[in-house]
Amino acid sequence: MEWLIYAEKGFWFGIAAIGFAVLFNVPSRTLFPIWVLGAVGGLVKIWLVHLGHGPVLGTFIGASIIGLLSHLAGWWKVSPPIVFSIPASIPMVPGIFTYKMMMGVIKLTGNPNPIEYSKILTDTVHNGMLALFMLLSLAVGAALPLLIVRKKSGKELQDLLKYRNE
Amino acid sequence: MKTTNNTDSLKSMGDCLMNIGAELMSAGANTGRIQLTIERISKMWGIKTELMITNRVLLITVFIPESDQFITILKRTLPHAANFTVVSGVSRMTWKAVEQKSTVEQINDELKRIKAMPHYKRWVILLLVSLAGFAFCRNLGGTPTDAFVTFVATFAGLFVRQEAHKKKFNVYLTVLFAALTATMITGLYSKFYLQHTKEYIAHATSVLFLIPGIPLINSFSDLIDGNHLNGVLRSVNGLIIAFSIALGFFITWVIVGL
Repeated sequence: MEWLIYAEKGFWFGIAAIGFAVLFNVPSRTLFPIWVLGAVGGLVKIWLVHLGHGPVLGTFIGASIIGLLSHLAGWWKVSPPIVFSIPASIPMVPGIFTYKMMMGVIKLTGNPNPIEYSKILTDTVHNGMLALFMLLSLAVGAALPLLIVRKKSGKELQDLLKYRNE
Repeated sequence: MKTTNNTDSLKSMGDCLMNIGAELMSAGANTGRIQLTIERISKMWGIKTELMITNRVLLITVFIPESDQFITILKRTLPHAANFTVVSGVSRMTWKAVEQKSTVEQINDELKRIKAMPHYKRWVILLLVSLAGFAFCRNLGGTPTDAFVTFVATFAGLFVRQEAHKKKFNVYLTVLFAALTATMITGLYSKFYLQHTKEYIAHATSVLFLIPGIPLINSFSDLIDGNHLNGVLRSVNGLIIAFSIALGFFITWVIVGL
């Protein structure tokens, strides 16, 4: 039964990635790899969270896997890796934490009743830090592989084109 | 000195490189990619280039090695609109051009063809992005009803954004309008249907289609790559978009009284 829940989540992660892909007007041949990457990254993240490693590490590793796989996808569909990695990693954005932080910040401008205030402050800072570090790890995870393997993948792409022109 | 095509003037080569750079920048490529693309093409033509790339302006100096000839061109980029078909198309074009030793004219024609490539139909974008909103809501633990309301809110919000974009409003204002529309629908749903329960999931996920993903991720790849100025510019751009979304929430809370 648990597998069914995971399958549903993976499916929706992929759909969310496709939504952003269409918004960014990607070539239609890249839509299917983006769906797969979004689903894989999202599933890795929720799996790590399930194992108790926390959402920050989960996001980082999920985004890194997307970043690495985007090179394979780019090699397969002859497109730059960012075409895959950016739409696929966006479904992992910490929407709820950011929302809670925003709510908290607005509450903090209100009545400074000392008992409630310190609780709101703690919650807001906690949610804000989580959101911030999840965003950071998302961006770093998706961007880092681009910088590590850039030159090499370019050469591979060239060889592939040669092969196709023959 | 040997160039592959002596008929092309330095000016036409520079203009061609600038067009490619401007297209890539407004389509959402990171700075390193723009630099690499321009360098690859100029290397093929046997010329040297020095570049300065910022978000809104590109500056290039093109010169022929071992001669006194050079030209400097400054070009404003177009307003930014994410278009990965252009990024992908230019990348393929570059590799083909290097392979076939294309002339300026051939590259200009190819660029024109890439720019004319079709976008997705408007209803396809509306439908799939709304479905993405539905997906976000489901994944963060929303009920099917929540998810459906998010779908409707995203649809309305994106529609408003597209209309505002057509009427050439300021970018941040279009985001504000869209956020306001989406949060208003989910806010009214939270207040009147859910009776103020803690069901904020629909409310929180209805604006996720507005998150500045490209500025955020490109900002980091630029910063890590050493293009600090562009990295900071992009992150500031992303921050203002996030602020517009927050403002939309705030206005909804004031009006609806959540």
